[in-house]
Amino acid sequence: MAFEAMFQPIQIGKLTIRNRVLSTAHAEVYATDGGMTTERYVKYYEEKAKGGIGLAICGGSSVVAIDSPQEWWSSVNLSTDRIIPHFQNLADAMHKHGAKIMIQITHMGRRSRWDGFNWPTLMSPSGIREPVHRATCKTIEPEEIWRVIGNYAQAARRAKEGGLDGVELSAVHQHMIDQFWSPRVNKRTDEWGGSFEGRMKFGLEVLKAVRKEVGDDFCVGMRICGDEFHPDGLSHEDMKQIAAYYDATGMLDFIGVVGSGCDTHNTLANVIPNMSYPPEPFLHLAAGIKEVVKVPVLHAQNIKDPNQATRILEGGYVDMVGMTRAHIADPHLIAKIKMGQVDQIKQCVGANYCIDRQYQGLDVLCIQNAATSREYMGVPHIIEKSTGPKRKVVVVGGGPAGMEAARVAAERGHDVTLFEKKDSLGGQITTASKAPQRDQIAGITRWFQLELARLNVDLRLGTGADVAAIQDLRPDIIVLANGGHPFLEQNEHWGAAEGLVVSSWDVLDGKVAPGKNVLVYDTICEFTGMSVADYLADKGAQVEIVTDDIKPGVAIGGTSFPTYYRSMYPKEVIMTGDLMLEKVYREGDKLVAVLENEYTGAKEERVVDQVVVENGVRPDETLYYALKEGSRNKGQVDVEALFAIKPQPCLTEPGDGYLLFRIGDCVAQRNTHAAIYDALRLCKDF
Amino acid sequence: MLNTLLPILLFAALALAVIGAGKRFLMWRRGRPAQVDWIGGLLAMPRRYLVDLHHVVERDKYMSRTHVATAGGFVLAALLAIVVHGFGLHNRILGFALLAACVLMFGGALFVAKRRRNPPARLSKGPWNRLPKSLLMFAASFFIATLPVAGILPQGFGGWLLAAVLAVGVAWGVSELFLGMTWGGPMKHAFAGALHLAWHRRAERFGGGRSTGLKALDLDDPKAPLGVEKPSDFTWNQLLGFDACVQCGKCEAACPAFAAGQPLNPKKLIQDMVVGLAGGSDAKFAGSPYPGKPIGEHSGGPHLPIVDLNGKALVDAETLWSCTTCRACVEECPMMIEHVDAIVDMRRHLTLEKGATPNKGAEVLDNLIATDNPGGFAPGGRLNWAADLNLPLLSEKKSVDVLFWVGDGAFDMRNQRTLRAFVKVLKAANVDFAVLGLEERDSGDVARRLGDEATFQQLAKRNIATLAQYRFNKIVSCDPHSFHVLKNEYGELGGHYQVLHHSTYMDELIGSQKLHLGKHKGGSVTYHDPCYLGRYNGEYEAPRAVLKAIGIEVKEMERSGFRSRCCGGGGGAPITDIPGKQRIPDMRMLDIKQTGAELVAVGCPQCTAMLEGVVAPRPEIKDIAELVAEVLLEAPAPAKKPAPAKREMAEVQ
Repeated sequence: MAFEAMFQPIQIGKLTIRNRVLSTAHAEVYATDGGMTTERYVKYYEEKAKGGIGLAICGGSSVVAIDSPQEWWSSVNLSTDRIIPHFQNLADAMHKHGAKIMIQITHMGRRSRWDGFNWPTLMSPSGIREPVHRATCKTIEPEEIWRVIGNYAQAARRAKEGGLDGVELSAVHQHMIDQFWSPRVNKRTDEWGGSFEGRMKFGLEVLKAVRKEVGDDFCVGMRICGDEFHPDGLSHEDMKQIAAYYDATGMLDFIGVVGSGCDTHNTLANVIPNMSYPPEPFLHLAAGIKEVVKVPVLHAQNIKDPNQATRILEGGYVDMVGMTRAHIADPHLIAKIKMGQVDQIKQCVGANYCIDRQYQGLDVLCIQNAATSREYMGVPHIIEKSTGPKRKVVVVGGGPAGMEAARVAAERGHDVTLFEKKDSLGGQITTASKAPQRDQIAGITRWFQLELARLNVDLRLGTGADVAAIQDLRPDIIVLANGGHPFLEQNEHWGAAEGLVVSSWDVLDGKVAPGKNVLVYDTICEFTGMSVADYLADKGAQVEIVTDDIKPGVAIGGTSFPTYYRSMYPKEVIMTGDLMLEKVYREGDKLVAVLENEYTGAKEERVVDQVVVENGVRPDETLYYALKEGSRNKGQVDVEALFAIKPQPCLTEPGDGYLLFRIGDCVAQRNTHAAIYDALRLCKDF
Repeated sequence: MLNTLLPILLFAALALAVIGAGKRFLMWRRGRPAQVDWIGGLLAMPRRYLVDLHHVVERDKYMSRTHVATAGGFVLAALLAIVVHGFGLHNRILGFALLAACVLMFGGALFVAKRRRNPPARLSKGPWNRLPKSLLMFAASFFIATLPVAGILPQGFGGWLLAAVLAVGVAWGVSELFLGMTWGGPMKHAFAGALHLAWHRRAERFGGGRSTGLKALDLDDPKAPLGVEKPSDFTWNQLLGFDACVQCGKCEAACPAFAAGQPLNPKKLIQDMVVGLAGGSDAKFAGSPYPGKPIGEHSGGPHLPIVDLNGKALVDAETLWSCTTCRACVEECPMMIEHVDAIVDMRRHLTLEKGATPNKGAEVLDNLIATDNPGGFAPGGRLNWAADLNLPLLSEKKSVDVLFWVGDGAFDMRNQRTLRAFVKVLKAANVDFAVLGLEERDSGDVARRLGDEATFQQLAKRNIATLAQYRFNKIVSCDPHSFHVLKNEYGELGGHYQVLHHSTYMDELIGSQKLHLGKHKGGSVTYHDPCYLGRYNGEYEAPRAVLKAIGIEVKEMERSGFRSRCCGGGGGAPITDIPGKQRIPDMRMLDIKQTGAELVAVGCPQCTAMLEGVVAPRPEIKDIAELVAEVLLEAPAPAKKPAPAKREMAEVQ
């Protein structure tokens, strides 16, 4: 039996888990009503249970006390009995499908923000500021320590009374427990610090109090890091000692291991490894912990496909594999393995759109799966075949919007033709994948390619669509997703028309050879500008990336910009903020870029041999306006129906001719998720 | 002159026939002893012939009527001829009766002759093409010779010339029809066939009974050979059965391995056994060869090994390993010959004595011995598929209504979906059930069909000992192979149970209103009869009734019911994997596609695996349990709130 190791049940405490795959705790940012696990929350997890997952540990950083604020990240609030009935709904939904559910509980100590809601004073063993959240804090007093220990016990009781299967004490990510562990932030000289036992005491008392409260039949685990990766922090050997210490108490049922600490921007990026990392980069740390403990060891971090999971489990490195982002991308991952549909698994590509939203306090969403966490709205993971008329659907453009539109329309059972003027699918994803360390983003296209082939979509690659070609197919519906072009014409003084500047697409697509001395001007500050600068530096160019915004790459999320910096600093890429590109002119065989300081108006010049401008995407609207008048709906999308996940009313209105919709960057520049979401919610009712 | 010649001819032929019969009888008796009811069998024979055998022949109306006329006419004519012409009882009425018999026979023989003008490939040629001429000659000769007896023609009409011609005709006729019966002509089928019916090794088959379980080897008897090495290792009545073959080729036409171009033709195999029992080569065989194996290269004798693993003997080993044990040949055989028994007997020798189970065979048998399952999976994982279902264990409950026999599909991800669906149905119907869990072992089906009788008996005895510890009313299984073995083959080893296929049980649950079912949504459906459910156990109705109950109108395949074509998965055939020109499941999928159905309902893990192995695009394959589980409705709430029946959430695993 293929993937047999994944489907070996496992005993954790008194609990039997049906397979070796779990979704580890992550902050969802879905709890509402003061931190309750309401409908969206339950449906999000239920989908994983339906999909066959063994265990989900929900609620990353769910708080046990009101001075560990839950509001910033809409996390789950276990400081009140109000949570109990909500947990019962959650537990029922999971158990109904045979999955188990636990929750991570914590007091975050200094790792939070104080400037809102209850305006708490944050607490930490020695009052040392936390840099990622710029969080200052007080030194916690023994009375508060004992109070927080009691809060943990009560929170665990609420989880148990709510019918959950266990709790995971967070001692990772520099929460209160591991703040006490780490000599880097615990400078105390009283019984709560100093010696090894002193630093362990808080965690031990929490564990004792929790175990006393919930008894032996309830699962209690702990999530720890494998190595903080700070010279003054806890090393792997320290963590082995700590793990063995708590394991020896006999009060723990499992240990989850995360490689890397995360109280700096750079270490944070390790915790949720993006596409620049190799597979399972920190497995060795988890395996090291497993060497010294008796309880099962759980480990996530870049475990994305069943072959990888099987290899890890067969090797015996850990007892369960966390496939957390893998399940955000495809909650039916397990079911698809069991159905022999491994090729249909939508695999996580490590774009980290999910976690980068979470760190901004936004709900976790998947860059490529717009149904994830929208189950409660009726956005489907499995597109049911239409019972209505079979339609001829023509999609123009093979980028993310077009590919999703074609997929969904084909799943509905329609006859779908897709035009793409390039020789391959992918659109801007293909361009994005050309940059160093960004190749895996092309995994989004790979999945669509397989699905469109499976669904027999008529792919017309290398074929630009015009009105006649489209009309020839006698379409019932036309979906335009033909994107746009780099917006270089916005400032005529850049000299794009004279060839003085080139676009980031030209460089990444290989249409223009990299220069030797290059100025990249990036007004957008997202991935493309950083990618093209990194790409050029990688090809040996001397690169300066300049923006009129605060800093190049400033709009890139917290787990992704560090990996760009790691790549670009060693190549001596200069990153300059606050300068606007006024104009470019030629002087001999050189180009002169005139830059103006945003705040002083002072001008500077750069003499270079290539100027690359990243100024976003200008929609291509010609085809749309050529088709608009002839369409039954005049190209309009009914936004009320769209937002309510309802069918477009025009689909059922009688009439001759075609309906016309446009989605993605051919309307206005947004992002991959927006393109895919619009395609899904629009086409799911075709 | 005729009055002198005819008795001589008749009695000489009869005498020679009797001598031949004696010789033939002694040939059969070279086989090992078998317990038969000598007298009872003979007494029962006419009924077996006229009812049971006729029942099979009757499926082909043309042939049935032809045979009734020809054989009936012949028997009557022969008896009357002996009386009238042999004993010279020239009674006019007898004369007319003989004339009528000859006319009847002649009429029948004309139809035989007609069929022989463009005979289908399955029919043997050679002497079989001569037979209608002999029949016509016999009938015509006696007709003319009898006309004077009936007073239609004067005595001595035609003089010596006609007498000579008639004498030649009669000589030809009685040679074929009297001598031929016992000296190896086509008419041998009548003589051997009648005795075969009388002393059949599965007398239970007559009178509407069914007997399909393989017969156990007595492993404790040091004298009994371990299977059949040479023709004389068959029991004597098996040898007799081979001799009954009419070479009609109905078996050949039904055999999936033959159609797939694998080196098996059941008719040729039986004829090779006939060659073996008498000694000689297959050169005179006038039918289709084993695909890919020219005629004339094989020979054998009663005391010579049938298979030579290093060269050629009577039959090549791969011929024996091509069989899927689907019983289509046995089902079709108008002489009720037991092909599958013979093949397994010969496989037993190859496996038990020679260790020559081909391809993955040895590995599978080793796995069964070491791990109690053919896949070699860690036995501790037998219940992994249900880790989240909280299945009641029989070891804890001790006594239940239904023992759910899971089978080795427990280790197969695809079949786990079927099992889980069936559990859902059992739970929805509030059935008092349990599973054996880790106490269950492979039923022994594959081991037995691969000839490893020892491993079969070992597994069976262990299962029987386990089952003896508990109380249950019935065993239900989703696997027709386990079902068949438990129901029909454990009895001989002391295990007697009421065993039901899950389709039968679901039909009962539906009949007693234990299930609240919606209607199947989706496209059209056809149904594939598993061999071990249908032909082996006669269950054709329950699966169809269940499908009907969920709103499915089955689009039947041309080959369905007792004529269902095997999926290719039985008898260890996928394990021994003898190459052919095409794959059996591909052919079955063509049958399925011809119905235009979008989904094929199945009731067997082997069929599921074989059919799902056919490359797409092809119809979807679902077990009946999955189809039922999909339309389960939540029971109406017993409380005062009469909630409308709601559809269960789709379970994706």
